[in-house]
Amino acid sequence: MTSRRFPLSGLLLVAPALAMVAAMFVFPFVLSVVSAFSSPAGAPTLANFAKAFELYSGDIAFTLLIVGLSTVLIALASIAIAGTLTLSETPWLVTALAWLYRWPLFIPFIVAAQCMRTFLAKNGLMNNSFVTLGVLDPDSTQSFLDWRGIVITFAWKQTPFVALLLAGAMASLDRATIEAARNLGASRLRSLIEIVLPQVAPTLLVGLVLSFVTMLSVLSVPLMVAGSQPTMMTVDMAFRINSYSDYPVANALGVISYLFTALAAWVYLRHSLGQERGQP
Amino acid sequence: MRKLLTTAAILPALWLTPAGAQTINVATAGDQNMVDYVKDFLGPMFEKANPGAKVVAVGTGPGDGGSQKIYEKLSAQMKAGADKWDFDVIVVHQKMAGQMVGEKLLADYTKKIATGAMATRDTSKNALGANVSGFVIPMFHSQTALAYNPAMVKDVPNSYAELVEWTKKNPKKFGYNGIKGGMSGVAFVTGWVYAFGGDAAKLMSGPYDGATKAAWDKSLADLKEFNRNVVITPGNAGTLDMLNRGEITMGPVWVDMFYTWMADGKLPPTMKLKLVAPGMPGQPMYYAIPAKAANGSLAEKFVALATSPEVQAEGIVKKFNWYPGIDAKHLEGKLDPAAWKKLFTDISPDDLAKKGQPFPLGQYFNEILESYEKKVAN
Repeated sequence: MTSRRFPLSGLLLVAPALAMVAAMFVFPFVLSVVSAFSSPAGAPTLANFAKAFELYSGDIAFTLLIVGLSTVLIALASIAIAGTLTLSETPWLVTALAWLYRWPLFIPFIVAAQCMRTFLAKNGLMNNSFVTLGVLDPDSTQSFLDWRGIVITFAWKQTPFVALLLAGAMASLDRATIEAARNLGASRLRSLIEIVLPQVAPTLLVGLVLSFVTMLSVLSVPLMVAGSQPTMMTVDMAFRINSYSDYPVANALGVISYLFTALAAWVYLRHSLGQERGQP
Repeated sequence: MRKLLTTAAILPALWLTPAGAQTINVATAGDQNMVDYVKDFLGPMFEKANPGAKVVAVGTGPGDGGSQKIYEKLSAQMKAGADKWDFDVIVVHQKMAGQMVGEKLLADYTKKIATGAMATRDTSKNALGANVSGFVIPMFHSQTALAYNPAMVKDVPNSYAELVEWTKKNPKKFGYNGIKGGMSGVAFVTGWVYAFGGDAAKLMSGPYDGATKAAWDKSLADLKEFNRNVVITPGNAGTLDMLNRGEITMGPVWVDMFYTWMADGKLPPTMKLKLVAPGMPGQPMYYAIPAKAANGSLAEKFVALATSPEVQAEGIVKKFNWYPGIDAKHLEGKLDPAAWKKLFTDISPDDLAKKGQPFPLGQYFNEILESYEKKVAN
C-alpha cells in the first residue's frame, strides 16, 4: 500500500518544472486574458473585443483565410512528397527529394520572408527568370507580395515539417498492404489515396494542427512580405502596442487567436483520444 | 510582464559591455541608420575625445514602437525605485518625449551644455503639444516628400488634390506603406487629413477637441477610394525598393533615406523629390538624458559633442543626409557648400519652410491612426 501514499518526494521532484510552467506560461497567459476583459479602471468589460472587431474584423477573417488556405496547400504538398518517397520506383528521384525537401525546416520564418521579398516581387528573381526564359514578357509580370506571398511562404516553410512526420509514418506501415494493392492492379496514386493515406491520417492531422497554430503566431512574414491592408492579426497586435501602447485590445486579439488555436487543439485531442479508445 | 519582457530584450546588450563607470549606454529608437550613426560615427569619436570612455549603442526598433520600448524600460526602473537607470542617453520620437517629460523620466539638462542654446526652432520646445523645453535637443530634423521617377512621371502633381487625379490616370503606379509599416506612410496619411480634413492648424497647435475627428469622415472615405488605385507597400524600405525596381513610379519617402539609398546605389540617381501642397509632415528625433542616468555628466558631454556644429555638419548633414537639429546658421563655414546644397536640390528652403509641417498633437495623432484603421483599412 505504500506505493499509493501521496508521493511527497515525487512532488518535490516535479516542483521546479511546475513552477517554471506556472511562472513562464500560466501566469502571463492568465494576465493577458484578464487584461483583455478589463477596462482601464479594472472593471470587467467586453469593450476591448468590440473595438477589436470594429477595427480588425477584416484582418481576423483574412488571417483565418490565409492560415486555412496555407494548411490545405501544406496538406497537398506534403502528401505528394511523402507519397513519392514511399511509393516511387525511381531511386534517384527518391534520394534527391529526400535530400532536398527538409531544407526549409532549418530556415527561420524571418529569413524565409526576406528571401521571398526579393524572389516574389514584380521585378524579382522569379519573374525575371521567367522573362529571361521567354515564358513571360516584362509587362505582364505581377507582384506576388500580397496575400499570395504570405501563403506561398507559409506553405514553403511548413510543408517539410508535415512531410517529415508523414513520410516517417508511411515508412513504418506494413508494406504488404501496399504491395497487395499494387499486385491487384491499383495504380500508385490509387494505392496512395485508398491504402496509405487512411492509415497515416492521424499523423497528417497532428502535423497540420501544429502547422496551423504555428502560422497563426508568425509576425515576420505578414510584416515583411505583404502590405498592411489587409494584414494578419499578429501585425495588428504589434501595432496596438507599438503605436498606442494599448495592451488590452492587443490582448483581446490574442484571446481571439487562442480561440482559433483552441479549436485546432480540440480537433487534435478528439482524434488522438478517439484513437486511444479505438485501439486499447 | 511588460517590464520583464523589456528587460529581457535589453539585458543581453548590456551584458556585453565591460564593467566600469565609464561606459555610457545610448539607446536609440528608429531605423538601423540611427544605430549605425551612434555606433560607427559618434561612438568612436566620443571614445577618442574621452579616453577610457566606452559608448554602447542599443537599437530599440523603428517608429514609435522603438521609443515605447525605451519608455517602458525607464518607467519600470522608476517604479522599481532604482537609483541608477540603465540608459545614459536616449534618442526618442516626439510623441514619447512629451510623455516622458510629463512623467518626470527625463533630466533638465540643456542649459548645462553650450549647444543647448543653439537649437531654437519650435520643435526644441514643443513636442506635439507637450512642453519639452530644457529636456531635449533635436538630433536632426527629417522630412517626408514624394519621390518619383522623372523618366516615367511627366506631369508631377503639385498638391494632394492633383495627386488624386494623377492616380486615377495612372492606377497602381503610386505606392505607400499604409500606417503599420513605418512613418512615411503615417506621414502621408497625416498630410492627407491636413489637406482634406478641415482645420489643419488646430490639429498641429491645438486646442484638443474630441469632436474634431467627426470632420474627417469624408476625407477618409475618399482615402479609401484613393487606396483602390494605389499599391500598399511593405514598409518605408518597401516603398523605396519598389521605386528602385520600377514597380511603382511615385511614393512618399523620408528625405534622408532617399538620399542615403541613392548614395549607396540602391536608387537610380535620376530620381527626384517633390514636397506637395498644402504640405507633408516631418519630425525631429531628440537627444534626452534620463533623470537618473548612471553617468549623467558623461552623458551631457556626449550630447554636447553630438549637437556641436562640427558633428552636425559632418555627421548629420553630410554623412546621413538629415537636416540639422541645431539652427542651420551655426553650421555656416563648417560644411562645404556642395553638401549643403544637395539637401536642397529638389526641396528649396522656402518650400521646406512653407510645406514642411509638424505631426499633429498626440491625441489627434492617435485618433487619425485609429480612424484610418476603422474607416479605411477595415
